[in-house]
Amino acid sequence: MSDAGAEHLDHFQDLEQQAHAARLGIWVFLASELLLFAGLFALYASYRAHYPEAFGWGVEHNVRALGTLNTAILISSSYAVATSVHMLRRGRPRFAAGLLVFTLACGSAFLVVKGIEYAGHFRDGVFPGGHGEFFVGKPEGVKVFYTLYFLMTGLHGIHVVAGMGVLAWLFARILQGKLTPPHTHPLDIGAVYWHLVDVVWIFLWPIFYLTPGTF
Amino acid sequence: MSATTPGLIPQGGALSLPPTFVNDDESIRSWLLTTDHKRVGILFFVATALMMALGGAFALVLRIEHLTPERTIVDALAYNRLFTMHGVVMVFLFMIPAIPGAFGNFLVPIMIGAKDVAFPRLNIASFYLYFVGAVVVLIAMQAGGLDTGWTFYTPYSVQSPSAVVPTLMGLFIVGWSSILTGLNFIVTVHTMRAKGLGWMRMPLFVWSIYGTSIIQVLATPVLGLAVALVAIDHGFDWGLFDPARGGDPVLFQHLFWFYSHPAVYIMILPAMGVVSEVVCTFCRKNPFSYRAIVYSTLGIAFVGFLTWGHHMFVAGLSVFDAGAFGILSMLVGIFSAIKVFTWVGTMYRGSIAFKTPLLYVFTFLFLFVFGGMTGIAVATTSLDVHWHDTYFVVAHFHFIMVGGTLTAYFAGLHYWFPKVTGKLYSERWGLLAAALVSAGFFVTFFPQFLLGNAGMPRRYYDYPPEYQTLHVISTVGSWVLASGMLITVGYLFWALKSGQDAGNNPWHSASYEWLTRSPPPPHNFDDTPVFASDPYDYTETGATQR
Amino acid sequence: MKSISERATSLTFVALLGLTAGSFALSYVHLGVLNIPVALAIAALKATLVIGVFMELAVEKFTVKVTMVAAFLFVVLLVGLMAADVATRATAPLLPPPPS
Repeated sequence: MSDAGAEHLDHFQDLEQQAHAARLGIWVFLASELLLFAGLFALYASYRAHYPEAFGWGVEHNVRALGTLNTAILISSSYAVATSVHMLRRGRPRFAAGLLVFTLACGSAFLVVKGIEYAGHFRDGVFPGGHGEFFVGKPEGVKVFYTLYFLMTGLHGIHVVAGMGVLAWLFARILQGKLTPPHTHPLDIGAVYWHLVDVVWIFLWPIFYLTPGTF
Repeated sequence: MSATTPGLIPQGGALSLPPTFVNDDESIRSWLLTTDHKRVGILFFVATALMMALGGAFALVLRIEHLTPERTIVDALAYNRLFTMHGVVMVFLFMIPAIPGAFGNFLVPIMIGAKDVAFPRLNIASFYLYFVGAVVVLIAMQAGGLDTGWTFYTPYSVQSPSAVVPTLMGLFIVGWSSILTGLNFIVTVHTMRAKGLGWMRMPLFVWSIYGTSIIQVLATPVLGLAVALVAIDHGFDWGLFDPARGGDPVLFQHLFWFYSHPAVYIMILPAMGVVSEVVCTFCRKNPFSYRAIVYSTLGIAFVGFLTWGHHMFVAGLSVFDAGAFGILSMLVGIFSAIKVFTWVGTMYRGSIAFKTPLLYVFTFLFLFVFGGMTGIAVATTSLDVHWHDTYFVVAHFHFIMVGGTLTAYFAGLHYWFPKVTGKLYSERWGLLAAALVSAGFFVTFFPQFLLGNAGMPRRYYDYPPEYQTLHVISTVGSWVLASGMLITVGYLFWALKSGQDAGNNPWHSASYEWLTRSPPPPHNFDDTPVFASDPYDYTETGATQR
Repeated sequence: MKSISERATSLTFVALLGLTAGSFALSYVHLGVLNIPVALAIAALKATLVIGVFMELAVEKFTVKVTMVAAFLFVVLLVGLMAADVATRATAPLLPPPPS
């Protein structure tokens, strides 16, 4: 159902086509992002197959409670942004904007917890690349574990920041009154990107915090 | 060749010319900031053509170096850098972006009756990402380039004291251009087809770009990761692939080839799309089986992802993986064969016009089949043990990349030259150039199969004197090939300025891009298109609908 | 495009928290070789819920669903064959039999 008078970009026939294109576009982009992380997961799986004890030991050494807290934070943020989409569609932009603020707060909290963890690692002398006094006398697999840990959580963190940027921009547009029904698909798209960030963490959490056992 | 051109206003001053995408605002600013997919296509064409020339120049120097066993014109370090840069420029800056970026951009929206691609601003951004990435790579070349081979294998790529990091950063940026171009085409084909134009009535070139785009979107991120990891290891010494720190260099190869094998299908699928169009137009016949081409296109795109390990048979792969990849690699030949038989079946009982585009397609068919069969040969694990890292492999992929893709690129260049410019090139010069390119190619690369089989390794600066004869023949061939290409540049430029008017449809093709003016108007069609006819309908009834 | 109901969204949130708690609890149970597969299976279930309900893939067009399934299959392919390589290599060089 399309509103024939609704504003849409010139090369599209109508708003419905524009929204369809935007939605398909973000899903295609997501497929791309999925493959980007896939390479790192593949490295993790391969190296874990090679160094099961070292990886198990590394997982044990991470703070399980902090990782779990972060999981809960991101799941809550996803719920908030999903509800925000519903609210915007229902014509309640202020509620939607408020939920976005909560989502951004969750994102910040996530980064703070991550920062605390990283600080802890650095204090112990754990740095990527096997640099740091921590690694003296440790088996090689431990070096690989932590390098992968920093790479994967680091890349994920970059995506958290990017996602927060996108949501902040959408928050501003909602306050400016630019996103009203039926023209609400930009928030759908930003939300989908944020959910990806959540999904990636859903897999990072078990492999870095929950599985100290060997293969 | 005369063609009735209803609606073409006789020349007589700029004001009486109907607006085309060229003359409607001719300022430089309008070109550089364009969101018109046709102009973006031309920007890509010019940039990638320049990169092709650069990569070709490197190749000529390499071949001159190989005229004699020891130093001919460059020393060993320069040689290593030259073959690396030849590969990097040709693969990433020409072969991957050229047909989709230039021909795809120009034609796909027109072929589906749309005004533009789905995301025009993203499109020009894709071009600038390519441009910036290419500039970064060129700057890195200025700083001496790198000597790792275009495959950047660890651990050497992490240790090499050459311009590894800037080159890889440039490629990372170019990779984004590829992903966004693919994304744009996928969304365009899904959402912007003209009313009533179903999937199974689109021109086959659109299908080939669609299949290519799927590969670009799914494979390129893994390359981005792979080169980023090498750059990080090189720059920050993180040692992810360093054996001394528990790293496994072969894992880099897994990531690299997970992209780079599908990448060769990014390079060949658009070329196959060109072949489909040219065969149908110049044989005035519908495809022997439209569905066969469509399904084999999708089949290649899918199966191409299953085979990357065949580049690693001698790298230390487990026997299990080697076996799996060996079997999977056999599958992809099936789809290519289906296409070749379909094209040949299309030509049978067609009304054949021996124009330059079709001449290049004949060359394509011969060289692609030859190259494809040698591909199946090297995909056989036990045979590859002998041929891996020899000139046999070099010859195989040049038969496909040059004999296949580049030849099809030339076919498309000539086929759509009148569409883009409204001018005709000289068929006699076209014939001469095609003959030189075809013959030159064969003389350059066929001896390399023999060289490789006799044991000549690739990427070797020096060689025993017994190999010299074949090397000399190959080098002479490269001069013939280069001359054919230079002549092409010459007469096409001349035609651009002084060629005869082509009219809207000099080839009397039924395909949809020919339904509009040549050059096309700024928004592709003067009236909203309704594609009543089939794009390959050369029957009497089809002709009356055009 | 049809929409997911707000009720479904809320129920999914509760389910996700529940699964998270469950996974956390199970991580303290020694299941041996099963620890990793169980944790990943729960993660996959959670991801499916986020993708299907929060991201509304469940009500998207068929081609979008196929795209994501295909992308996921390729991920499995990459991870699988790469890890399989490492896992199935011989761990020590085979020595020739001693001269008799």
